[in-house]
Amino acid sequence: MLKRELTFLFALWRANLQGAMEFRVSFLLQIFGMVANNLLYFAFWPVFFSHFDDIHGWTLNDMLIVMAIVSFSWGIMTFLFGNFNFISEVIANGRLDYYLSLPRPVLTHLLASRSNVSGLGDIAFGVVAYLLSGQFQPEQILRLLFGVCISGTILLFFMTLVHSLTFWVGNATELGNLGVNALLTFSLYPITIFDNTARFFLIIFVPALLVGSVPAQFVKAFSWQGLVQLSLGALVLTALAITVFTRGLRRYESGSAIQVEV
Amino acid sequence: MPAIKVTDLKKVFKSKRKEAGMLGSLRSLTHPEYKTIEAVCGLSFEMEAGELLGFIGPNGAGKSTTIKILTGILFPTGGDASVLGYTPWRDRHKLAYQIGTVFGQRPQLWYHLPAIDTFTLFGKIYELDELVLKRRIGFLAETFEIGDLLEIPVRKLSLGQRMRCETAASLLHSPKLLLLDEPSIGLDVVAKQRIRDAIREMSKLENVGVLLTSHDAGDLEALCRRVIIINHGQIVYHDKVSNLKRKYLTSKLVEVRYAAEVNQDFQIYGMETLKVGRYGVKLRFDTKNTSVDLVMSRLSEKGSLVDITISDPPLEEVIARIYEEAA
Repeated sequence: MLKRELTFLFALWRANLQGAMEFRVSFLLQIFGMVANNLLYFAFWPVFFSHFDDIHGWTLNDMLIVMAIVSFSWGIMTFLFGNFNFISEVIANGRLDYYLSLPRPVLTHLLASRSNVSGLGDIAFGVVAYLLSGQFQPEQILRLLFGVCISGTILLFFMTLVHSLTFWVGNATELGNLGVNALLTFSLYPITIFDNTARFFLIIFVPALLVGSVPAQFVKAFSWQGLVQLSLGALVLTALAITVFTRGLRRYESGSAIQVEV
Repeated sequence: MPAIKVTDLKKVFKSKRKEAGMLGSLRSLTHPEYKTIEAVCGLSFEMEAGELLGFIGPNGAGKSTTIKILTGILFPTGGDASVLGYTPWRDRHKLAYQIGTVFGQRPQLWYHLPAIDTFTLFGKIYELDELVLKRRIGFLAETFEIGDLLEIPVRKLSLGQRMRCETAASLLHSPKLLLLDEPSIGLDVVAKQRIRDAIREMSKLENVGVLLTSHDAGDLEALCRRVIIINHGQIVYHDKVSNLKRKYLTSKLVEVRYAAEVNQDFQIYGMETLKVGRYGVKLRFDTKNTSVDLVMSRLSEKGSLVDITISDPPLEEVIARIYEEAA
């Protein structure tokens, strides 16, 4: 069964990539544009740390690992499951009909039906940021891969959860924008600036710390607490998002909007 | 066992009401009001395997909602349905391997890619063997006359060409039943005819059952043996197409345009003049008493023809007559 779904997913990703490559200049601009965008964003931190040694023990090196993890996970998810940020739009405009009329798992098919090639730029930036961090021990690399998987899973299913509220509220596009902005913004701040209440909020309600700082700490040094926090967070959010989306399908109302493209 | 069995099917939507203007928007924000819309109200019908059944009605009659329930896209509010032995909303996944769907307003072909790429993707979705898929594409390309269109990006195809590719895509996995929701919407006469011919051919060759929704009585005449007319979510007529034609589709409308100005008291024996313009005339004739050949020759006697369209009366008119008779 897994082989069957993977064969389907690879075919879908290939079609996405073929679609993106139809427009060569746009394809390249998106990749290099995203690398430049991330560089400009990150440029603030070397300047900051040239004036201050650390923020409550958080250094430029920690920031590099956070950037590497968030860029990697965001890049992979937007490239492989790029529809996660458009779920509300698809539901509200009645475009789930297409996915529901084909014999494949609806959520997987929906998520993987769009590839944002700018994600490749994020992945490239993530590689550079990680190389600069100097964390090259084999166990650190294994922990990085684990951290990226968890960070990406949380990102994907948090957004799926927020957008699935469209089944109840009519259109959660703006809520989704709010969610993704909050998640990304807080995931790129050093964890040490938050007190315990803020940390609790940023783990339970907007799990930004599970996307950036907690996996970054886990890459630097193994801890059972980090492992449990990350694994549990990813499992709970995945189960919750799938349940809410599946329940929501019963409320789906389709629509009669004329659609001119897929 | 019937291919489709529907019993007392119901679907109710809740819709927000809002008065016009800014004040209405503010009021709807603080005191929202909802009304329920009964899109499908207790539909019951059966369709045999391999049958070509027309499901027609005006806009908003509940045709698309019914088709969406039968494909498992929508959950019904009440009633029961069985499609090829499956309950669509419970067995959507299994049913999807057995049916093909075409929604005229919802393309399934990838817009920026040639149709052949979507066909290849569908091969993976339906888990078709590569050799089987290749043979199937060759067969469908011949039947639907799309061989030279397959490698052109879909965005560059005409609507008629695209719809032929869409219908071929829905038949890739050799379904037992084809559910077509307004497949001819927006197509010109020639494109409609080509789609209808290909669907009829496929049904004959592979015994594919076809449930077709349309608001064009022409689709029905060309394809179906039996017809169900629905309005406001209820069946208002259910009989053979031949009986419907004999009883209700007895007249045709003709719109004709001449090269020179026409006489304002334009009259032709055996035809009812509905409207006279400067160059054009709209008329109606009874097909039982007057043949199309005769109409053409009488019209051309009146002057040099520039354009002519012959069509069925709108379904709304047919439904009004059915209601009148029932009353």
